[in-house]
Amino acid sequence: MSNTSGVHVSLKQAKQLVEYLEAGQQEDADDLIADIQNPINTELFAEIGKLTRQLHDSLMNFQVDSRLSDLATADIPDAKERLNYVISRTEEAANKTMDAVEAIFPVVDKIQKQVKEVNPLWSKLMHNELNMDEFKALCIDIDALLETTGVETDQMKTLMTDVLMAQDFQDLTGQVIRKVIDLVVEVEEGLINMLTAFGITSNASTEKSLPKVGDNLVEGPIVNTEERSDVVNNQDDVDDLLSSLGF
Amino acid sequence: MDKNIKVLVVDDFSTMRRIVKNLLRDLGFTNISEADDGSTALPMLQGGDFEFVVTDWNMPGMQGIDLLKAIRADASLSHIPVLMVTAEAKKEQIIMAAQAGVNGYIVKPFTAATLKTKLEKIFERLG
Repeated sequence: MSNTSGVHVSLKQAKQLVEYLEAGQQEDADDLIADIQNPINTELFAEIGKLTRQLHDSLMNFQVDSRLSDLATADIPDAKERLNYVISRTEEAANKTMDAVEAIFPVVDKIQKQVKEVNPLWSKLMHNELNMDEFKALCIDIDALLETTGVETDQMKTLMTDVLMAQDFQDLTGQVIRKVIDLVVEVEEGLINMLTAFGITSNASTEKSLPKVGDNLVEGPIVNTEERSDVVNNQDDVDDLLSSLGF
Repeated sequence: MDKNIKVLVVDDFSTMRRIVKNLLRDLGFTNISEADDGSTALPMLQGGDFEFVVTDWNMPGMQGIDLLKAIRADASLSHIPVLMVTAEAKKEQIIMAAQAGVNGYIVKPFTAATLKTKLEKIFERLG
């Protein structure tokens, strides 16, 4: 059964209406008539109701999402610890390496000095200009040089092994930093979801902003020099810039 | 170039101070002192007869650029050559340092050869 306005009334609704009227439920009867006349509104209200429920649920989920609070109370402090560990391990490695290198320098100096001492007589020997006394002196010098070289190269090997072993920080700090990167990615996703939930799209600010700088434009090492036009790539760039300033 | 001059190395990281000190020593400089930022360096400079300063830019307390400005503003220190060794790589900063009167600018990471060249250039210009 239909009419020209497109309003449909079912047999069930008609019976319900008669029931309401017979029972004197005037208000219910009026509501039913309104519903029959205006099915669109009902759908709209139902849709708004559904959305409201969804919004409510997602806000509730947001509050109770334990992952989010874990991130703030556990993971981020843990990441700070991890990064501090990276600082101390790299510092330790740098110092161990420099300890060894600083110990090698005097050893090399000592050998160099003895070689220099041997050189004049050795060159005389090579030119057949050496007398017997000089030959004896040369033998003594060479004996000392061989002795020193033998002992000191053993010492250098030990020190070079120390330098080698000091590089083990790379593996450990690499693993730690990778974990922190995972955390940063998770936080980034969380923040994007939050922005999306509040209707702020990341496209809203398409203009890519530069990292925050401190006093005197301090920013620290630039890791993406190729993507930036406001920084120099290397020492040659610095030299070119300074010479263009008449430096 | 007189290798007996007093040199002050200013950096907040002890490892970097140690690297610079070792490189300078290898170049023949033996009279080297250290400071961990500008505010420690400045009184040392005012109290001693330093003739060369190697400084980082980014340090807690007083930054290298401010140390440079303070050195240039102090009549008793203004003649001291200052070499900046820093990770700060913005063109604007390099210009800022040049205008403040820096004698050389090295960006980290750097090599021993770069340090040697810049030092020679600075002392050659000073005559």
